[in-house]
Amino acid sequence: MTALADESADSALDKAPCGLLVTDPDDVVIRANSTFLRWTGYRREQVIGRLFHDLLDAGGQAFYDSRFRDELWSRKELREIVLQLVRANGQTMPIMLNAEMVMEEGSPAGVRLAIFDVRNRQDFEREMLIAKRQAEASEASVRILQRAADRFVTASSEEELFELVAAVAQDAFAASEVAVVRYQSETEWETVRGIHLRELLAEVRGSRAVDHNLTADEVLVIPDIERAYELSDDLGDRFRAARAAAFSSVSISDETTVIGSFACLYGRPRTFDSGTLELHRALAKQMGLAFSRVRFQERLSDLASRDQVTGVATRGFIDSHAESIFEAARRDNTSVSHIFLDLDGFKAVNDNLGHRPGDMVLKTVADRIRGAVRSQDIVGRFGGDEFLIVCRDADEHVATAIAERIARAIAAPMEGIPVSMSVTASIGVAVYVPGEGTDVSAETLTRRADAAMYESKRASGNTVTLAA
Amino acid sequence: MPEVDPLARNNVHITGNPDGRTIMFAHGFGGTQDSWRFVVPAFENDFRIVLFDQMGAGASDLSLYDRAKYDSLYGYADDVLEIIEALDLHDVIYVGHSVAGMMGLLAANRRPELFSRLVLLGPSPRYIDADGYAGGFSQAAIEDLLLSLDSNYLSFSVTIGSVLMGNPERPELSESLTQIISSQDQSITAQFARATFLSDNRRDLPDVTTPTLILQSYEDNIAGPEVGEYVHQHIRGSELRQMNSRGHVPNLSAPDEVSRHILEYLG
Repeated sequence: MTALADESADSALDKAPCGLLVTDPDDVVIRANSTFLRWTGYRREQVIGRLFHDLLDAGGQAFYDSRFRDELWSRKELREIVLQLVRANGQTMPIMLNAEMVMEEGSPAGVRLAIFDVRNRQDFEREMLIAKRQAEASEASVRILQRAADRFVTASSEEELFELVAAVAQDAFAASEVAVVRYQSETEWETVRGIHLRELLAEVRGSRAVDHNLTADEVLVIPDIERAYELSDDLGDRFRAARAAAFSSVSISDETTVIGSFACLYGRPRTFDSGTLELHRALAKQMGLAFSRVRFQERLSDLASRDQVTGVATRGFIDSHAESIFEAARRDNTSVSHIFLDLDGFKAVNDNLGHRPGDMVLKTVADRIRGAVRSQDIVGRFGGDEFLIVCRDADEHVATAIAERIARAIAAPMEGIPVSMSVTASIGVAVYVPGEGTDVSAETLTRRADAAMYESKRASGNTVTLAA
Repeated sequence: MPEVDPLARNNVHITGNPDGRTIMFAHGFGGTQDSWRFVVPAFENDFRIVLFDQMGAGASDLSLYDRAKYDSLYGYADDVLEIIEALDLHDVIYVGHSVAGMMGLLAANRRPELFSRLVLLGPSPRYIDADGYAGGFSQAAIEDLLLSLDSNYLSFSVTIGSVLMGNPERPELSESLTQIISSQDQSITAQFARATFLSDNRRDLPDVTTPTLILQSYEDNIAGPEVGEYVHQHIRGSELRQMNSRGHVPNLSAPDEVSRHILEYLG
């Protein structure tokens, strides 16, 4: 017989490799085993008579009161609850806890608690949880941006876009309300969504919130109602009337001008971490691109800027637009690419089949180019059988990929055109890389793309050449 | 948008005396309408009793969860008003535990004509300490609490709890486990925790015109006596009653005392 087998049940429990506690229904500790005392460093009389609650750290106490008690009373037992004990020396000790309510004649008579020391894994798991939260947040941002991009592409008018801006911002930030503003000029603006918030927005502007260091990287934030009252009593009152406890706003710009802004209201105080601010900026940028595209399309509906044969932009229109895109790219330190395209074999079609089939080929080519580019790219006919495509935010890899897609699309057989007269494209690509010298302009970029196109031509056509 | 039925959405149950005054019990964070089960019997003879599950809790309809609406207590307050309107109630006696106290207060401030009394059981207008205000928690402690809630989510999911309890009245809960442990469920719990513990409704207290009773446990670490006192000071004409109960959930730990105080107050 070993000493262990001799041990009484009480003594075995007293030295069990887990802490054991019993409390009365009011949470007062009435029994504690030696293991618990050894782990925590308390003397028995320091524990007995104390509330179990008081042995936990502040967060644990809050959790215990808000969630634990209610659940325990409802369910009678709880498993694997992670908490922090405060030891006699003030240090915290992570524990895992099982709890069971003891019932006598239908009423709670007390609670048995089994406590496991998880010091070795707890810190690790906490870190994991924090990392997981961060990963989930950035994953959610990517999802929101992707979804927003998909939605913006569907808009064909500024009106539709304003509607989408409001909906996208509300989804992205769980805002209670969203207002959208359109600028006519630097000083003139109108509220196009959330019109009842007009005065509140005017008050935010009037309060010079911008001067109160409330802008964090282009995003204006008012994190709580007290800050609103600091700016002005009127603003605080307007916040309350709108049931707003926090506010954020960011402006939306196209290449050259501020188009408008969106503002989110929140029903509770908010902290805006760097990820949330970044999401504001990223969405605003997407919105700016979408507005730019829609404005381009709207102006294109003007007959003077649209090529009558193909429906794409005229040379004059794409030249002026290319210039503003280029200036914006230089300002924002982003890349922009020009793709210059000249058809191979078009002369044969025109000479042998006549002008009507020739025009049909040009129209088909234009349609195929538009099908191959991204929604933010703009397409123009440069004259004859030459086309220019301007791609913002496109480095050499992206631009080359787009050019190759275009080449493949054009080379496909065309209805009514004999295979012997098949049409292909010679393509040149020129890329503006951020930081390039000031002598580069939209015009020189087009010229470089044109020269690269000639290289493709000399290499017998149906080729993409990247300008050196 | 299809018409939403608030009674189905919030799993509303009506019991008691159909001819009696209407009393509505609202549970707090972490609870369900079952949290009132020990309190309700004292009211059954004389009151029409309205019970419901807060959105995200119990058997509420999660398909109607709206992140924008339920990001703050206003969304939950609107649910209270929608339930009252759907039942065509007037002169409602509203009893709210913990955070549900603030929800009822916001609802009564918006539509005071619908309420006759507010009973706030362990209310707090703000949990985090601020200049000149002792809410009971530092910002860091609340962050810790939110982390604890996230860590313990699996052990505490309300729906999982109900399934483990084998609640025969709610057969709809016996669904596949993957459905139960949905990430939606988890994010709802997390958002409710944030709406609860990060709110600041101090400025709403002076707006209250509905006669109000504040019930305060003598030892409540979530909403301590000084917080109850603050609420009392800032709601004109309110009555504050100290109870002998301990802890933040007297509706479970001292239900008789809770019922007695409410009944005395209502006269």
